[in-house]
This record gives sequence, C-alpha cells and structure tokens, in this order.
Amino acid sequence: MDTLVLLFNLSLRNIVRYRRRNFFLFAAIAVAVGGTTLSNALIRGWQVYMLETAVSALTGHIRLQAPGFADDPGLDKAFAADTDIRLGEDIALAGVAQRINLPAVISSERETRGVALVGINPAQENISFYRDFVMEGEALTGPADGRLVIGKALADTLQTQVGRRVVVIVEDADGKSRERGYRIAGVFDASMQWPEQLLVFTGLQAMQQSLANSRLPAPVTEVSLVLQQEENRQLAQRQLASQHPELVVKDWRQMSPQIAEIVDIVDATMAIWFVMIMGALTLGLVNTLIAAVMQRTQELGMLRALGMSDRLLLTQVVLESVGIMVVGVVFGLILGVAMVFGLGDGIDLSAFSESVEAFGMSTLLRPVLNLEDLFLFGGLSVLLGLLASYFPARRALKISPLMAMNR
Amino acid sequence: MLSRTRGSATSFGRYLSLWQLLLASLLSLPLATVSTTAAAHTPIAPVATTAIDVDALVTGAVDQTRGLSSYAEMSMLIKRPSWQRKSTLKAWTRGREDALIRFVAPTRDAVNALLKQGERMWTYTPKLNKSIRLPGGMMSQSWAGSDFSYDDMSRSDKWLRQYRLEHVATEQHDGMAVYVIDAIPKEDAAVVWGKEQLRIRADLVLLELAYFDQDMQPVRRMRSLEVGELGGRMMATRMRMQELDRPDQYTELEYLDMDFDIDVPERTFTLFSLQSGRNR
Repeated sequence: MDTLVLLFNLSLRNIVRYRRRNFFLFAAIAVAVGGTTLSNALIRGWQVYMLETAVSALTGHIRLQAPGFADDPGLDKAFAADTDIRLGEDIALAGVAQRINLPAVISSERETRGVALVGINPAQENISFYRDFVMEGEALTGPADGRLVIGKALADTLQTQVGRRVVVIVEDADGKSRERGYRIAGVFDASMQWPEQLLVFTGLQAMQQSLANSRLPAPVTEVSLVLQQEENRQLAQRQLASQHPELVVKDWRQMSPQIAEIVDIVDATMAIWFVMIMGALTLGLVNTLIAAVMQRTQELGMLRALGMSDRLLLTQVVLESVGIMVVGVVFGLILGVAMVFGLGDGIDLSAFSESVEAFGMSTLLRPVLNLEDLFLFGGLSVLLGLLASYFPARRALKISPLMAMNR
Repeated sequence: MLSRTRGSATSFGRYLSLWQLLLASLLSLPLATVSTTAAAHTPIAPVATTAIDVDALVTGAVDQTRGLSSYAEMSMLIKRPSWQRKSTLKAWTRGREDALIRFVAPTRDAVNALLKQGERMWTYTPKLNKSIRLPGGMMSQSWAGSDFSYDDMSRSDKWLRQYRLEHVATEQHDGMAVYVIDAIPKEDAAVVWGKEQLRIRADLVLLELAYFDQDMQPVRRMRSLEVGELGGRMMATRMRMQELDRPDQYTELEYLDMDFDIDVPERTFTLFSLQSGRNR
C-alpha cells in the first residue's frame, strides 16, 4: 500500500512538473469530452423526440386493430369497445385510448379534401399529440361531443373557421356512404404539418351512434396503449397477442419502422463519433507520455539503479496516464453538462422548420442528458488512458541505468 | 369530350337537387302525393298574404317539373373565358330516383353517360369501356366540365328533410307573384352552404336558385333565362349556372324537347344499358 501511495505521489509530481504541457493536454481532453457530451445530449434529445413523435402519432407503444384494417380501413373491421384489454401487474400503463379512425372526405363551400376522421375520447388522449394541440375555439368536451376539431392547415385549405359547418362523408359499418353536416368546434395548431392537414377529430361516442349497426353497437377500430417503460413493450405485446388472438397487436417499431431504424442508427452514430474523437485524443496522450518518459531518462535510470522493479515502473507510468485522463474527463464532463444546461430550452431551428420537419424533428432541439451515457464516456475514456500508457510504459522499461549515465 | 375543367376547383358542395330542378322543370306531372293545392297554374296565395305554405310551394315547384317518368333532349353550353363548347344530351328519368343522361353530340363526346340509381351514380366513358361508380368524395366535382357538379345531378327530395324553409319576401315578375324562399340547412344536414335561396313563381316555375356561403354571401347562382311551355307544362326552358366570382364563365342548359309520363323500359336504368349506349 505504501508503495502504491509512493507511486501515486511520483505520478502526481510528474504531472504537476510540466504544468504548461499538461494543461493543454487536460484542456484537449476536457473539450473533447465536453463536446461529445453535448452532441450526445443533442442526439439523444432528437432520439427521444423521434420516439415520442412516433408514439404520440395515434400509435402508442402498442396498438390493437382488427385483422385487415391496416390494408383496407373500414368500420366493418372493428371490434367492441368493451373488449377486455389488460396487462400483467408487472407492466405499468401510462394510458389507453380507444378510437375510431376512418378515411373520410370533408367539404366546405369551396373545397373538398380527403382526411382521416378520428373519433376520440378527449380524456384518454393525454397519451397522444392531441394533448399538445393549441386550440382556437373550443376543444371537444367529451366522447359524446358530435362537433369537429380540425387542423389549422386544413381550415385554411377549406377556407373555413371555428363555428362554421362542413360536410363529412364516411362509410358506416354496413359500407354505405354517410354524409352529414358537422359544426367546427375548434381549430388546432400542431407542431407538425401533417396532423393539421390530415386529421379531423370528433367524439367517439357520437361517431359510434351515427355509424354503428346493430351487430356491433359500440365499435372501435383501434386501441393504443402507452406504457410507463418503453422497454416493456415486447412483453406487453406478447401478453396482449395471446389474450386477443383475434386482433393484430403491433408495437411502435412495427408501425413506424423508419423511425425505429433512425433511432437505432443514432446509437451507432454516437459510438462512431466517440471512438473517433477519443482515438485522436489517445494518440495525443501517447505522444505526451512518451515525451515525458524520454525527458526523465536520467531520473528513471536512477530509480532502476536503486532497484525499482519493472512492475512498479509500469504501474507508475499507467497511473500517470490514467491520472491525466481522469482529470481531463472530469473537467470535460463538467464542461459538457454546463453547456447542456446553458442551452436550457434547446436550440431553436424554426428558421429551417420545413426541412427540419421533413427529418421528423421538432423545430426545437432539446438536449437530453443520459446518466448512463456519461458513465460510459467516463469509463471508456479511462480505459483508453490505460491502453494509451502501453507505449510509454514499454519505452520506460527499456531505460537502463547505463543509458541514463550516457546522457 | 367535355374535358374536366382543368385545375378549376369546381367543388361546390351540396345543395338542392338541381337535377330535379332541371329535369323536373321539364318533366312534371304534379304527383298525387303532393298534397298541396299547388295545381300547376293556380297561384298559391295572393301577393299580400304572408302566410303561404312554403313546404307545399317548394314541393310543388319540384314536382311540377317531375313526371312519373320523362324524356328530354337538351343542349348544354359551357362558356369559359378562352373557349366554349356546346353539346347535346338526352335524358330519361323515372320517379324521383332513377335517371340516365347520355351525350349524343359532338361525336367525340357521344355515348358518354351518367346513370343515377337513388343516391348512387356511375359514369361511363366509351374510351375506357368502363363504368365507374362515383365515390362520395367525387360528388362535388364538376360534371363533364360544366359548372354543375355530380351532386347537383344526384340529390333527391332533400328540401323538406334537410332544410328549414322560410318565406322572406314576395316580388313581382310578369304580373305574377314570385316568392323568395330561404332554405336554411338543418344543423346536421349534409349541406355546406349557409343557405340557399329560391325564387318560385306563383305558377310553380323555379326562377332562381342561389347558394350562399356561411358568411351569407352568394357564391353560385342558377337562373332561369327563359320560361315556356314544354311537354304541356310551364317550366324554365333555359337555365344558366354561374359561380359569382367568375363572371366570364358559366354553363347554360336549354331544353329542346320534353315528354312526360312516357313508357321508359325498365332496363334503361341499368349498368348494362349505361354501357351499351344503345338508347342513343
């Protein structure tokens, strides 16, 4: 133990001895780790947002539909609203929403557009982007509210507004076209364009009353579930699939495969980014340590002459390398976290809103700090420091007292 | 053929059955079901009277031009700023629900046809040799490039079901009273208009039908340009449909000949007949 303390002191002294050189080394490590932390937080933020987008776009983590509905949506492929959907007690639910989601045609005095008419229970929609809509006029009061809520973009296209009537044509459970006038209760503003153009909401119960037939008086075409922990989705999916073999149970990765793909790619990208930056740094560290060892030829030669063993010498160099890395990484993480907090509410990308939206991003890029990632960075950096000490240590081992005397 | 008006969003929504009003203006026998006193040429009420039976007046005007069955020949003029086109059509109707309209001239439009059975409609184009059932979303599109929409052609009997009728004024025309009637759609009616306004002459001739948006500004108007007697009935023989913000374009429909209560074979109103083009 005493030896270790001695070696530690030696390393510390060596580090402090070359203040200027080591300061720049620390700075380089700190900036690299800080930058990685920040970019990681931003990318994680994007990832979280993408997932949130995928899940909140009326899909949920898991969605149940009748077979064939996805290919040919219609009220003939519906199931009863009182279908018992239950998860095991080990899986915590954030919310469940029942809906009827049907293709429809909406007309005003001036225009006609194809949309999806979605019957909802507003109280259940705290799991979808419906909760974030900024509503002009009134929101739906409940599932029995037979009025419409339409998107701002759609209202502009139709040249209509809150309080006006529009006509909606939709197929009922018997496959017959039903058309009816609806009053527009509210116009919503969503963070993305497509829901504003494509989605029209009304009360679920009102929709059931006007479209259902006697065979199935209270139909729903989908039930979405959002779990407390996204990781549980596969377990939940298995449970539901065995409970309801008559329904199709899909998770969000199956419903939005392109987003799932992007989320996966982001993980890989982050790893590549980290390896590149830290790799370059490690080479710098190797260089510095070799120089330090060379400068100390005489000193090391004397230590060897006094009988310092290979093992101890090796440990000393490794301690020095890891010490530099640890200090740099700690400062780097502090710097990175500080930058993330400095960004606070995120980076406003609204100047590029259209192209950004095409990428499935919100116009506000909000960084998300992930503790696991920070530990991973720290750990990997120290490991790299350990590896980096190999070359200088080998160099140090070659120094003999004779070499030192010849200097 | 009368190609669809390019790009022009002729998506006027839904209104009263122009079709009936059109054909009907030509065709009718007052049906026995019309409980009104509205025998064809009997003025319903003196001008001064405010209490007229609006429902009866409107039903009467519609039934006036609708026989148990009918056959009509008409010409349609589509006027656009840079071009115009005139075509000739023949139409058969039976009751309130069934109708077949076929183009007979010009040659390149001939045989194109539209079949209506109740609320369902099909179009037939010889070039495709195919009948296409019109989906609900297409009903507000322009029919044959004209200012009429498929909807105009397909509606039946919605006056009393979907509107609240209100007598708002009485005017004079050719020495006869003309009743101005506002038709205000009921709350859940499949009607996009704020209101529709009819001008019906005391002898049940529909003189004008105007569509108002929900700001109560007129958007489209169909006006009778000529009134005369055809097939033994007094009716509008020439009508013009126009969107009011496009004063330089309109569609005119003129009845050339008309027969009421003729014998139309059952098979006329079938898909087979639509495609065969035989009843030219």
